[in-house]
Amino acid sequence: MTKRLLFQLLAAFVASVSLAAGAEDVVAVVSAKSPITSLNSEQVADIFLGKTTRFPDGSAAVPIDQNEDSPDRDRFYAQYTGKSPAQVKAHWSKLIFTGRGQPPRQVANAAEAKRVLAQDPHAIAYIDNRLVDSSVRVLSGQ
Amino acid sequence: MHKPKMAFLMAAILAACGAARADDDGPKLKLSGYGTLGVAHSDNRGADYLVDSFKPNGPGATRAWNTDTDSRLGLQASAELSPRVSAVLQVISQQRFDGSYRPTIEWANVRYSPLPDLSLRAGRIVLPVFMVTDSRRVGYANPWVRPPVELYSMIPITTSDGIDASYRMTLSPTTADTLEVTAGRSDAKFPPSQGLGTGTAEVRDILAVSNSLESGFLTVRLNYGQARLTIPEYAVFEEAFRQFGPPGAAIAERYGVHGKFSKFVGAGASYDPGPWFAMAEWAQFDTHTVIGKKAAWYVSAGHRWNKFTPYATFAQLKGLSNTSDPGIPLAGLPPPVAAGAAQLNAVLNGQLGILPTQSTLSLGVRWDLFRSAALKLQYDRVALGSGSRGVFGNIQPGFEPGSTVHLISATFDFVY
Repeated sequence: MTKRLLFQLLAAFVASVSLAAGAEDVVAVVSAKSPITSLNSEQVADIFLGKTTRFPDGSAAVPIDQNEDSPDRDRFYAQYTGKSPAQVKAHWSKLIFTGRGQPPRQVANAAEAKRVLAQDPHAIAYIDNRLVDSSVRVLSGQ
Repeated sequence: MHKPKMAFLMAAILAACGAARADDDGPKLKLSGYGTLGVAHSDNRGADYLVDSFKPNGPGATRAWNTDTDSRLGLQASAELSPRVSAVLQVISQQRFDGSYRPTIEWANVRYSPLPDLSLRAGRIVLPVFMVTDSRRVGYANPWVRPPVELYSMIPITTSDGIDASYRMTLSPTTADTLEVTAGRSDAKFPPSQGLGTGTAEVRDILAVSNSLESGFLTVRLNYGQARLTIPEYAVFEEAFRQFGPPGAAIAERYGVHGKFSKFVGAGASYDPGPWFAMAEWAQFDTHTVIGKKAAWYVSAGHRWNKFTPYATFAQLKGLSNTSDPGIPLAGLPPPVAAGAAQLNAVLNGQLGILPTQSTLSLGVRWDLFRSAALKLQYDRVALGSGSRGVFGNIQPGFEPGSTVHLISATFDFVY
């Protein structure tokens, strides 16, 4: 009985670990029609943290966030900016309450983000890399 | 800014916000807010700990436990009218000089960006004098219970009515430099708690220049500011001194608060790679008046472990000008005149003696409870300079200058 419980616990643990490992990275993407082909993670971070409003070529950059319930969101900010959800929130409160900036527009999920990308060549978003298809371009150069 | 002008600006901003709400696809309206619920305790009942000179009281003499020190609520409406034009209105409620929580307008300005990296603002805007002036009221945005009092109490004024221009230069993909120039004026009423008597600080011809260089995790900021400071309530003392011939006139000229230029210089740096942060800041403020000349600095560092961020800060404030003056020479004056002069000399020395010298070691922890709320606990050991009462006020008989005071503070900070 005890052995079986232990085994079940172990199995659950292994499953959760492999699930975590299976959770693929989140990648920054633009529309396949966008002229932007490559952007390193610092440049992506600067756009999403409101430090710049433009791509390196000078064209306007419109970041698209996923809302706070989305697991992609926390992974994206951890990966690209090294900031925890609370740090990102603190960063924006500094800018918001002096009228210096507003956080990116939010959409509900990755599918919504892709829909915005399809309509706006200036938009930049992040999605789970399992959702990458021909409509988007992954920004390499991390 | 004159009141009718301010009212007009507010009306314009509110109208803009109304227009923004009416049309979802066009202008965007955002409502947000921040707040702090705080309690602070001092082990010294002989005086109040005053986090700045606008506070009528604090933990200590008035009440050992004080909830007015850090508590505040801010509400903000911002409207994006077009990609180039936006407006912001922020109202804040916190303990004022008269003890009330009557809301005041912290910001009310319109921003226009003729170029993507250039922004011009007009209205009530931030007075950019410190590293975290922009967010000094927003507890959630800062690691501490409150910005180090030694430095941030030097200039308690946070707003300027006027204009500013800020230009951002991208020097490399990871380095940007922002230059900001502000011109304006400000009025602030202060309570009698500091011992200077109650009055209004009329700040005119403000010119502030600040430069902020951001490179990766490093931010370096330089600030310069100058302004003409007048406290009309003090004119009566100046007049009295001038009755005593050239020596009295010289004193009135040297210490008078009547539109002379005050000068401020400051420098700060912060490094924040994520798992930890460190920052340091220094500033010097010379009023060329009875308020004197002060310098302050602090170093602070913290480490982020999941939701917990323990931090430590050491801060020092030093009075650099004289804390006493011989005053009007009494020798040779007829006795009744000498008595009057002696009284005036006592008033002068009473004010000069307020110049604070103190240092504080702070240890604290921030706990990020939720994504939008944090709980902080902080211990401060405030050591007053020899003969100084530091930033303490409402001094009671028996309070010993130069002593050490222990404070405990807790805050709940949130944004929404």
